[in-house]
Amino acid sequence: MSTQESHEDHGHHLPAVEDWPRGFGEASWWPFVTAIGGAGLYVGAALYIIASGNSGLLPAMAGPAVFVGSVGLFLVGIYGWVYHAFVSHFWSRDTSANGSLALKWGMVAFLGSELATFGAVFTYYFFIRAGTWPPQELPHLLGSLVLANTALLIASSFTLHWAHVAIRRENRRQFILGLIVTLVLGAVFIAGQVLEYYEFIVNEGFTVTSGIFASAFFGLTGLHGLHVSLGAVLLGIVLIRALAGQYSADRHVSVSTASMYWHFVDIVWIFLVVVLYAGAVVGGTGA
Amino acid sequence: MTQTKPSTPVVRWLTTLDHRDIGVLYVVFGAIAGLWGATDAMAVRTELLSPGLAVWDAATYNAFFTTHGLTMLFFFATPVAFGLANYVVPLLVGADDMAFPRVNAVAFWLLPPALLLARAGIVGQLLGIPHLAPPTTGWTFYPPLSTQQAGHGVDLVLLGLHLSGVSTIASSVNVVVTIAIARDESVSWASLDMFSWTMLTTAGLVIFAFPVLGSAMLMLLSDRLVGTTFFAVEGGGPMLWQHLFWFFGHPEVYILVLPAMGIVSHVLPRFAGRRLFGFRSVVYSTLAIGALAFGVWAHHMFATGMDPRLRISFMAVTLAIAVPSAVKTFNWIATLWHGAIRLTVPMLFCVAAVGNFVLGGVTGVFLASIPVDLVLHDTYYVVGHFHFLLVGTIVFGLFAGGYYWFPLLTGRWFDRGLARAHFYLSAFGIPVTFLPFLLVGMAGLPRRVAAYPPEFALLHYVATFGAYVLGVGQLLFVWNALSSAVRGEPVETTDPWELDRTGQRTPEWASGAETE
Repeated sequence: MSTQESHEDHGHHLPAVEDWPRGFGEASWWPFVTAIGGAGLYVGAALYIIASGNSGLLPAMAGPAVFVGSVGLFLVGIYGWVYHAFVSHFWSRDTSANGSLALKWGMVAFLGSELATFGAVFTYYFFIRAGTWPPQELPHLLGSLVLANTALLIASSFTLHWAHVAIRRENRRQFILGLIVTLVLGAVFIAGQVLEYYEFIVNEGFTVTSGIFASAFFGLTGLHGLHVSLGAVLLGIVLIRALAGQYSADRHVSVSTASMYWHFVDIVWIFLVVVLYAGAVVGGTGA
Repeated sequence: MTQTKPSTPVVRWLTTLDHRDIGVLYVVFGAIAGLWGATDAMAVRTELLSPGLAVWDAATYNAFFTTHGLTMLFFFATPVAFGLANYVVPLLVGADDMAFPRVNAVAFWLLPPALLLARAGIVGQLLGIPHLAPPTTGWTFYPPLSTQQAGHGVDLVLLGLHLSGVSTIASSVNVVVTIAIARDESVSWASLDMFSWTMLTTAGLVIFAFPVLGSAMLMLLSDRLVGTTFFAVEGGGPMLWQHLFWFFGHPEVYILVLPAMGIVSHVLPRFAGRRLFGFRSVVYSTLAIGALAFGVWAHHMFATGMDPRLRISFMAVTLAIAVPSAVKTFNWIATLWHGAIRLTVPMLFCVAAVGNFVLGGVTGVFLASIPVDLVLHDTYYVVGHFHFLLVGTIVFGLFAGGYYWFPLLTGRWFDRGLARAHFYLSAFGIPVTFLPFLLVGMAGLPRRVAAYPPEFALLHYVATFGAYVLGVGQLLFVWNALSSAVRGEPVETTDPWELDRTGQRTPEWASGAETE
C-alpha cells in the first residue's frame, strides 16, 4: 500500500502513548467500551418498553438489568478514556495551543447542538403559550423556592469563575475552594428541584400527565435538571483531579470547557425561569 | 512512525483510532446498511408490479417504504459521506488525524447498535410477532398516526434513530473542529479545498438540525409511553411535529447533498484538466445553501392549511435556494468547457450526477411554488423529484468519490470493466425508474399506497424494471469492491490518476506533494 506508507512519516503525534491496549499507537479499547455502554442504555430502554407491553415476550427485569449494566460499562469506559487521554502523564503531555483550542471549540460546537436540543422543547411551550392561557389551573410556580434556586445557580457561576481565575493565578487553595462551593451550590439546586417536583406531584397533584402545561413544565425542567446533573459530574471530575494536584496556570483546558458547559446551563436556566415560570403566570388572560 | 501492530485483526479494528481506519469502517458499514435499504426498495417495487395486493399485504408494504427511507438516509448516505470525509479531510487540511480521534471512534461504534435497534422490527416481521413489527408510518413519523400505532415498532425505531443522531452530532463536532482548528498552518481559509468546505457546512448543519429531531423523537416517545401532550391535538398538535421534523428534515437534505457536491467539485476538475471554474463562487454558494437551508422547511407543509403569509415567505426562500444550486451547476459545466476530459469511472459518475441534479433540481423548483405543490403534493412526482437527487446525485457523487479514492483506501485498483458496467446500468436505471414516477405523479397517483388503478400498470412495470436494473448494477459494485480490495491489481504509484500531468495533485495522494 504504497500510497499509505507515504503518510507515515508525516509526523503523526499519537493521541496517547500509554493506553489499553498498550503500545499500539493510535488504538484504544475505551471508545469501544464507552460506545457499547452508551448503546446498552438504549437497548435496555427498548427491552423495558417491550416488556412493559405485557406481551410476555420478555421478563420484566431484562430491561432494567441491561440498563444498569450498561451504565456501569459506560462509566468504566469514560473512566478509562479520561484517565488515559487526559489524567495520566498530565504534566508531560503536549499542550500545544492547537490542542486546547480544539477542545474549547469542540465544547462550543457541542453547546450549539445543546441550543437546538432545548430549542425543540421550548418551541412546544411557545406553541401552547400562544393559545388560550392559562390552559389549566397552574401550580404555584413563582415561590420562594424557585427564586432561591435561581439565586443559587447564578451564584454558582460566579464561584466557578472565581475558581477559574484563581488557577490562572496559581492560587490552588482558592481554586479548590471555589470548585467545592460551586458543586455544593449545584447539589443544593438539584435538591431544590427535587423538592419542587415533590411539592407539585405529591402535594398539588400536578404530574407529568396533568395537561398541556405539565408536559412543557416537566419536559423543560427535566431536561435542564439532567444537564445540571451532567455538569455536576463534569465539575466533580475536575475537582477530583484538582485535589490530586493537577492543573496550573498553563494547564487548565478542562477547567475551561467544564466551566463553559456550566455557564451555558446557568444561562438556559435564567431563560427558562423568565419564560416558563414567570411567562406562564404573567400576562395570562385569567391570571 | 514506529508502532507494534495489534495481535489480531479483530483487536485492531475494534480499537483503532486512526481516521483512515475509521473512515473505512464507516464506508463498509454504510454499504451494508445501503444493501439492506436497497432490499426494502426491491420489496416495494416488486409489490408494485401488479395493481392489486399481490405479494405483500398493505401493512408489510407500508413497513418496507418506511424502513427503506430511514435506512437509506440515516444509515447509508450519512455514514458513507462521513466515512469518506474521515479518511480524506485530515489529509486534505494537513491535520495529524481528526481533532478528537476517540470521539471519532465512539461515534462510529454507536452506529451498528443504532441500526440494529432501528431495524429490530425485522425480528417481529420474520417471527410473525405483531408486537414487534416495524412501523408503517413512513420515515416522517407524522402524528397522530405515529402516536396511535400499536406495538413497539415505532418505539424501537425512535430509540435507534436517537442513538444514530448522537453519533452523527459527535462526528460533526469532530469534522468542524478538524477543519476549523486542526488545519496545518500552511492551509489557510483561502486555500481550503472544496470537499472540506462542503463537509464543514454539512457538519455545521448537523449540529443545529439533528438535536431538534432528537428532542422531537423523545417527545414523541414520551407521548406514546407516558401520555404527555407534545403532539396531541389539545397540546402542540400534529403541526408542531411537522415543524420540528422539517426544521431538521430540510437541512438534512442539504446535509446529504453537500458532501456529494463537494466530491463532484473535487473530482470533476481533475478529469477535465482544469481548475474548478469560479472556485470562490462555489464556496459562497455552499455557505449560502447552508444558511438558507434553515429557512425553507415549511415548503413540506404547503398543503397543511398554514397561514398563507408564512407559506409565501417559505416559497420565496425555497425559490432563492435554487440560485446557489444553479451557480454550482453552471460552474461544473463551465469547468468542463474546453477541458481535456478523461472519462474515467469517477468522472462518469460526476457527469451523470450533474445531469441528474439538473432534473432533480428543476422538478424541485416546480414543487417550491405553492399552486403547483398543492396539485402535486403527496404524489409520485415528489418521490421522483427527490430520488433523482438522492440516488441520481447523492449516491452518484458518493460512487464518484468511492471509485476516485478506492486506490487510496485499499491500495488496489478496482476492475475497470465491471465499474463501467456498474455505471452504465446505474445511469440507465435512474431515468427508467424515476421518470415514470414523475409521469404517474403528474397524473395524480398518490404515493405510499400499495395498490393503484390498473391504468398506471405500464408505467409501474417500467419503473420496477428500472429498479431491478439498478439493483443488479449495485450487486456488480459490491462484487467489484470486495474482490478488488482483496485481489485487485496493486497500485504502484502515489499518483494513480496521473494528476501530476495537469498539476492537480492534492495532498491526500501523498504527503508533501504540491497543493492547489
